[in-house]
Amino acid sequence: MTTLSTPPPGSTNRTSKTAPSDGSSRRGARAPARRRGNTGFVLACLLPALVLFAVFMVVPTMNVFRTSFYTWSGFSPEKRFVGLDNFRHLLDDDQFVRAFQNTVALLVVVTVVTMGMGLFLAAIMTRQRLRGRNLYRFVLYIPNVLSVVVIAAIFSAVYDQNNGLLNGTLRLLSLDGLQQVWLGNQKIVLYSVAFAMVWQSLGYYMVLYMAGMASIPEELYEASALDGASHTRQFFAITLPLIWQSLRTTLTFFVMSAVNLSFVLVRAMTGGGPNGSSEVLLSYMYKQAYTNSSYGYGMAIGVVIFAFSFLVSLLVSRATRREPLQF
Amino acid sequence: MRRSLVLTGAVVTALGLLAGCSAGGDSSDSGKTTLKVAALEGGYGRDMYTQVIKQYEASHPDIDVQLQISKSIEDEITPNMKAGKYPDVVVLGQGRKAALTETLIKDKALEDLTPVLKEKVPGENTTVGDKLTKGIVGNLNTNPYGTDKTYLMPMYYAPTGLVYNKGLFEQKGWTVPATWDEMFALGDKAKKQGIPLFTYPTAGYLDSFFFALLADVGGEQFYKDVMTYKKDVWKSADARKALDITTKLLGYAAPATVGYANEQDFTKNQQLILDNKALFMPNGTWIVGEMADAPRAKGFQWGLTPLPAVTAGGKRYLTTSVESAWVPSAAQNKDAAKDFIAYLYSDKAAKIFAKSNAIQPIEGIADTLTGENAEFYKLYEDPSVSALVGGFASTAPVQGVDIKATLFDTANSVISGDTTEAKWQSALNDASEKLREAGD
Repeated sequence: MTTLSTPPPGSTNRTSKTAPSDGSSRRGARAPARRRGNTGFVLACLLPALVLFAVFMVVPTMNVFRTSFYTWSGFSPEKRFVGLDNFRHLLDDDQFVRAFQNTVALLVVVTVVTMGMGLFLAAIMTRQRLRGRNLYRFVLYIPNVLSVVVIAAIFSAVYDQNNGLLNGTLRLLSLDGLQQVWLGNQKIVLYSVAFAMVWQSLGYYMVLYMAGMASIPEELYEASALDGASHTRQFFAITLPLIWQSLRTTLTFFVMSAVNLSFVLVRAMTGGGPNGSSEVLLSYMYKQAYTNSSYGYGMAIGVVIFAFSFLVSLLVSRATRREPLQF
Repeated sequence: MRRSLVLTGAVVTALGLLAGCSAGGDSSDSGKTTLKVAALEGGYGRDMYTQVIKQYEASHPDIDVQLQISKSIEDEITPNMKAGKYPDVVVLGQGRKAALTETLIKDKALEDLTPVLKEKVPGENTTVGDKLTKGIVGNLNTNPYGTDKTYLMPMYYAPTGLVYNKGLFEQKGWTVPATWDEMFALGDKAKKQGIPLFTYPTAGYLDSFFFALLADVGGEQFYKDVMTYKKDVWKSADARKALDITTKLLGYAAPATVGYANEQDFTKNQQLILDNKALFMPNGTWIVGEMADAPRAKGFQWGLTPLPAVTAGGKRYLTTSVESAWVPSAAQNKDAAKDFIAYLYSDKAAKIFAKSNAIQPIEGIADTLTGENAEFYKLYEDPSVSALVGGFASTAPVQGVDIKATLFDTANSVISGDTTEAKWQSALNDASEKLREAGD
């Protein structure tokens, strides 16, 4: 295994040297002009995207930050500036604290489980030449194409306490003691949501990891096999370090999905209930901003979500930084 | 090939942008006034509105009524309202999840409709105020700030209470309990036969239960005190008694209740009544239409009863849900809007509405009803039963405080044992205090 980062230096020089001398000088003379022409063209091409980005991303985000300093119902022309009051209220709002805890719990549980299982399945599918692995991949990927509302409906049926798939199976296996009110028990409901999230995203991450693993040269495995490395050893010494970059990228995805996906799922499946025990940050923000007429307060929660996901992504990215390995 | 792809992409993007920018322009060049009406498509359907509007347009040729109607009307009109384009008339009650009406009340963004009460109904000789049932105007539901100014016109009213299967009671020879003692005795009796006494679709439906209970326990003044956040009202003996009764009742709840008490599954709780797997649930007259296609036990018959009395012979209240029509103060055609609202109370309109079971609070209309509805509305004729209208008073919004959620949703935790009655009481007290301070 070698660690190369850039293409061999001088490779471009070599080609220009072999080229005819007048040709190279002509190219040298024309290059700046074309670059200037390019800049204008590139800018013109980028402009629509930049404008859209500014109008639909930057401005609204700034608005969120600005509104979080006001008390505003969302309709009236009157906004009252209250400084950091909204943020101060957040600190003694038990519901907010619980929503925050739930979001963090979902983030940790879903990330660990999805990533672990995704890696495991991807490794098995790429390395073990499993029969019918295309079918498995297809089946595991399907949930990712489904709308979250459909997933919520599916899981409502799965978790149904009387005729649900889960309790029905337990009854069939005479494990009646393990039956639960999956969406009604306040201690379990969050994990029920977490499981649905894992089910939804597992296939996606598995395919991502598989793509990374497929590009690892076979020789590395052959060589290590000759040296007597077991499959587990190969996984930790070869596979994992070589797909480290894709792993890092997916970690950021996990942060985003824990914040966004959980909202849609919770809203469609439990509505934050029973009694707020499955409330997550975004659903609480939605409730405050749109049904409790405290738009400014909702935006303050939005700012916290922004800062939180930004910070976590940054920390994760810092903590997992390694020298990129290449093969 | 590649270039053509790029080109296609660019064209599609450009078209998308253009489509996004080209919002429909106004087309009111014909000299007609365009009256924009937005209505919630509730259990009554949309036909009745189109018919009423057709009649109205026939008698008012200079007005063009544009109807926007939807099951989630809030989602459709809110974006435009934020952009300053307000509908002229909105038919939408309080107590909806999106709380649009409540928000506008808190904002003081509604037009004063007191003059409409004195206006003559178009084409008739009586005023709107004279046509309305007595007592339907002047409560917190129509005069949300507790003054004598009416901002919300009561459109349709429906009694809510405890819904049960009349057929089952006949088969078993049970009588519908008239006091809470009888209620709990029945609960024990039914339990032996494997039927739980109580369930609710979602905790939010407890509004039909709680408001009436508060008035049953402490009288109308106490109810008003609770709704206007009187100091320490939740620490009073009456409040405690109401919570005592509720906690005891929740102890009789069907085990499935909490697990199904969400937007996705609440009909399964309603189904418990149809299947004789629970005796009572708080609900309203719309349940008949809502569950019309659901399978049911043999001999099933819808019944509705007020809450049992606290003491024998005591006064009982029926929480009455009232949908309202209102005019945003930012509306363009306010005068036309007021005239249109007055028309909604005309005999012609009332007849069309009543055909769709939308019963307006107009004197004498309840006598014309048939079927289940006749029985439901007959409850008001019992001299010991009174209608109870209204809800929590509006205050300036308070961050993180939602007293309805504290009052209703906590029931889930009481059933599952995650909280205690004492904690519930103190949480209610906290929320009430914060709201009172905001109202002052």
